[in-house]
Amino acid sequence: MKIVVCIKQVPETNDVTIDPVTHNLDRRGLAGVMNPFDKNAVEQALQLKDANNDAEVVLLSMGPDDYAESLREGMAMGADAGVLLSDRAFAGADTLATGYVIAQAVKQIGAVDLVLFGRQAVDADTGQVGPIVAEFLHQPQITYAASLRLSGPNEVTAERLLEDTKQTLVATLPAVVSVRSELNTPRYPTPRNIQLSFAKPLTVWHHDDLDLDDSRLGQAGSPTIVTKVYAPEPVKRELTPLTGTPTEAASQLIKALKHRQLI
Amino acid sequence: MPVTTLAAEKLLLQMVDDYTAREIAPQDMPMDAAGDFPAGFIQKLTDTGFLGLMLPQKFGGAGFGPEVTATALNHIAQGNASTAVTLEGHFKTIDQILKFGTPALQQQLLPSANDRIFAFSMTEASGGSNPMGISSTATREGDHWIITGDKIMITNGGLAQVYCVLVKTAPKELSVFVVDQDMPGFSFGKREDFIGLRGTPVGEIVMDHIVVDDDHLLGKLGDGGKIGDSAHDDARILMGAVLTGIMEHDLKIATDYAKERKAGDKPLTELQVTHRKVADIAMRKETTKLLYQRAAQLKAAGQPYSEEAAMAKAHGSRSAVSAGDDTLQILAGYGYSREYPVEHLIRDARAMEIAEGTVEKMRSAIANAEFSK
Repeated sequence: MKIVVCIKQVPETNDVTIDPVTHNLDRRGLAGVMNPFDKNAVEQALQLKDANNDAEVVLLSMGPDDYAESLREGMAMGADAGVLLSDRAFAGADTLATGYVIAQAVKQIGAVDLVLFGRQAVDADTGQVGPIVAEFLHQPQITYAASLRLSGPNEVTAERLLEDTKQTLVATLPAVVSVRSELNTPRYPTPRNIQLSFAKPLTVWHHDDLDLDDSRLGQAGSPTIVTKVYAPEPVKRELTPLTGTPTEAASQLIKALKHRQLI
Repeated sequence: MPVTTLAAEKLLLQMVDDYTAREIAPQDMPMDAAGDFPAGFIQKLTDTGFLGLMLPQKFGGAGFGPEVTATALNHIAQGNASTAVTLEGHFKTIDQILKFGTPALQQQLLPSANDRIFAFSMTEASGGSNPMGISSTATREGDHWIITGDKIMITNGGLAQVYCVLVKTAPKELSVFVVDQDMPGFSFGKREDFIGLRGTPVGEIVMDHIVVDDDHLLGKLGDGGKIGDSAHDDARILMGAVLTGIMEHDLKIATDYAKERKAGDKPLTELQVTHRKVADIAMRKETTKLLYQRAAQLKAAGQPYSEEAAMAKAHGSRSAVSAGDDTLQILAGYGYSREYPVEHLIRDARAMEIAEGTVEKMRSAIANAEFSK
């Protein structure tokens, strides 16, 4: 079984500024760490590997050279190999262009049974890349998985946790799953595994190493246009206090709801 | 230095900081109150591989060098000094087996140092700083040695499973043997009720006719004094690192408080009296850091480091007590309260003016080193 875990390096600080020209997050010069939700995805892959000695866990990331640090951290947690997609041609990509390159890389890795993502990255918070990769790969997808297990030789079962409901979904492999932090507690890389991780293969794939349609890359391949980034004004709503005894308050509430034709 | 080594060290310290923030620092105050590590705490530390941090990779460890090992203890001590001192006691003991043990003894003992805590014991009721005053003996009987004696005030005593013990093999001859808690005749005695570093167990072992073979002798007969001095040197570097961590903790408490607190209508950060104290804490912390790092660099380079290690501990321990006192004064009544950690940081630091050689002994060692130049 081959599992690919897609990870993103995010700024260590919350003090991220917005580029005044592109209106995108300006991550330049900021120390990076592995996106916390992605650690849950790595942990899930490692648990599947712990239960299945034949499993291979490959980490995949797209970004500048220093993203190798997060790949190495994941390899120190126990992943077998890392692949970094790094090229100026990929810069400025939105979630669609990012998803395209990652999907092409998953195809190139080959014979991948399961692609795991964290639910979203804590810097941009879109949660879109996992589903986009699933669409490019034409594979079933399960998002927001709070539990995940191999339920058959060729299928996974996940409990999908939404705001007010739980769903149990079964997907045939190969599939793409994004996971929630409720799924597990990520293991720490041990000091010894940190050292040994540097003997594991970390490959950098540039533009020419992949089969790519250039029109789908970088800013040119990104239909997203950020025109403005702002904190929405808080909506001021009129509050009508309910007064008196509970019975009187209930009566006022029913009256108010009827007045608004809500009941 | 290879790039991978630097990257590995960066990743190690990142993991240490993460582990310290989530697993160690929250236990700092409860540990001081309870006078012990919480249940499962040492097992988790072991499972996360901390015991093998400086153990060579051929014995199953991580094989990190003296500088980053000391810095890791500095970072751990920023969350809790007891945890760092327990690791210090373990690492200094491993160091002596690496320096003086035969390959066979190393192969026999060291793979288990990833899972079992090791301790080095010299002090007895009849002798602490004067090793020739000890009463424990190893006497030859046939092909074996019979070890008898009572060792006290052992860092990790009662927690550790393997002990290097200083004994007399002749009236004027000191030697070191390795004994195991599972050996017949081994038992634990009293645990000390110390005022600081209260998580770290410090206790007694009783050796009643423990029988060991020659292969449990560390170094050669008569090497006891040399091995003891070496253990002190290695411990003192790590204690300098722990003391730096305590002062980092002091500094954070002092600056966080000063940024929030006002005296009258002026923030403490605008008062010169605060500036003086914060600057002193910062300077003491940085000078101790430079001293332990210098000693660790010399050790890594295979150069003599005894004097520098003594400086790190002597300067660091007095500095950390003073830094705690200044921090307490900045926090005033809150600093004097047990609700806040400052008072226990002073008690923790105070232990290291005594342990691994008193500051008075350190000064003699430093002065004698200077006289001999």
